[in-house]
Amino acid sequence: MSVLSPRGFIPPYILDQIIRNGSQHQRQRALGTLVHVQQLLPNPGAPHRQRGDALLPARGQPGLPLRSIHDAQQLMQLPGMEVRSEGQPPTGDAAVDEAYDALGAAYEFFWQAYGRDSIDRQGFPLVGTVHYGDGYENAFWNGAQMVFGDGDGEIFHRFTRSLDVVAHELAHGIIESEAGLVYFNQPGALNESLSDVFGVLTRQFSLKQTADQADWLIGADLLTDKVQGVALRSMANPGTAYDDPVLGKDPQCGHMRDFIVTRDDNGGVHLNSGIPNRAFYLAAVAMGGYAWEKAGRIWYDTLCDRRLPNDADFSAFARLTLDTAGHVFGAAGSERMAVEQAWVDVGVELT
Amino acid sequence: MNIKQLPKLGDNATLRLSRQGGVAAIQALSRPREIEFSQCNEQQRGQICSLLEGCLPLADRATGRGDQRYYQIELRYREHEQDDEMVLRIPEEQAPGELVRLWDKGEVY
Repeated sequence: MSVLSPRGFIPPYILDQIIRNGSQHQRQRALGTLVHVQQLLPNPGAPHRQRGDALLPARGQPGLPLRSIHDAQQLMQLPGMEVRSEGQPPTGDAAVDEAYDALGAAYEFFWQAYGRDSIDRQGFPLVGTVHYGDGYENAFWNGAQMVFGDGDGEIFHRFTRSLDVVAHELAHGIIESEAGLVYFNQPGALNESLSDVFGVLTRQFSLKQTADQADWLIGADLLTDKVQGVALRSMANPGTAYDDPVLGKDPQCGHMRDFIVTRDDNGGVHLNSGIPNRAFYLAAVAMGGYAWEKAGRIWYDTLCDRRLPNDADFSAFARLTLDTAGHVFGAAGSERMAVEQAWVDVGVELT
Repeated sequence: MNIKQLPKLGDNATLRLSRQGGVAAIQALSRPREIEFSQCNEQQRGQICSLLEGCLPLADRATGRGDQRYYQIELRYREHEQDDEMVLRIPEEQAPGELVRLWDKGEVY
C-alpha cells in the first residue's frame, strides 16, 4: 500500500491514524512517510554565506548586484577560484562572462519588476561557479550559491548559455527564502514551476518580449544540434520540448488527468511542474502585455505571501493566486478571471 | 534520520540504482541499473553489500532541492516472509566512487 496521495501529502493526521489503526505493514509505511514529511518540512530559509566569499562586502547596495564568479577548473569543489568580481571587466572566458551577465540580468529583473533586492531581499551576494566538474551536465543552487557545468558537448552545451536556466537557479534561492516549498511531490513541483516562471520572465524582461511574442521554453540554448528537440521544457505545451532517440520523449504533463505518480525525481518535481507551468502561461497570455507585470506580479506576491504553507499542493497555491489577483487587480477584474480559467483549464481544483 | 542497518539480502533481493534530479532531469539520463542478487556470486554480493553499508551514513532523504543531483538506491527484498524495500538517496557530491562506477559501468571494483 502506498500512503502517498497522487495529489501530494496525505495530511499528517491521517498518517497518525494509519499508524494507530493499520496493519503492521501499513503502520511501518505510514511511519516512514511521516518521518520523511517531517524531515522535509523545515524551511531552509534565507541562504547563508559560505567560505570563500569572505573578501566580498557583506551585501550589495539596494538596486545594485554584488556578483562574484568562480572557476572550479573542472573539479567539483566549491566555490573554486574567484575570476571576476563585481565591476571588473569581461575575462574572455565565455562561461565566466555569461554567468556574470546572466546573474546581473536576473538581479535587475527582480529589482525592477518587484523591487526585490537579491535572493534574501537584503542584497545577498550572487556567487556563481562555472566549469564545475568534467563535462558536467547540470546547473544547481546548493543553498548558498549557483553552480554551472560545461555540458558534455554531445547533448548539452554549457549551462551558462541559457539566461532562463541561470535565473531559474537564482529563483530557487528566492523560493527557499520565502515559502520554502519542500522539494517533494506537489510542493516540489510548485517549487520547480516557480523557478521556471521567474526564469522565463527574466528572459522576457531582458528581451522586452510580450507574452504572445515569447517562446515559453526553458533551456532553449542548451541542447546541441544532435538532439531532436528545442529545449528542456515547454511551458506552453508541456511534453513537447524534445522527442529524441537517446533522450526519449519529453515526459512532462500539462493537466491533472495526466499527473505522474513516481518515486523518481523527488516525486516527479520536474515532471508535474508542467501543470502549474501551463497554468501560468495560460493566465499570462490571457492577460496580454508583459507577463511580469500582471501574471508575474500575482505569482510573485503569492510566493511571498506568509499564508502559503511550505507543503502547499497545487490547489492551495491556485486558491492563493486567485486571492492575490483579486487583492491586486480587483475581485471582479479580468485578471482574476484569467487566473481562475487557467487553473480550471489544467484541471486543478479550486474548492 | 539515517538508516542504521542494511537488511539481510538473499537470493530474492534486487537493487535498482539510478541518478536522479538536476535542472535537466531527463529520465533517459537517470540510466537505472537493475541488479538481481540471484545472478551474482557470493563475492559480488559481498562487495555490493559492503558498498551499500558504506552508503548508509551518507543517505539523505531530503536531498535534491535546487536541482542538485543524487543517486537513488532501491532495494527490494523479502524478510520475515514479507516483501519489503529500502530506499536510500545519496547526494551526488558525497557519493562514493564505487557507487558511481556501479551505476555507470555495472562494476563494483
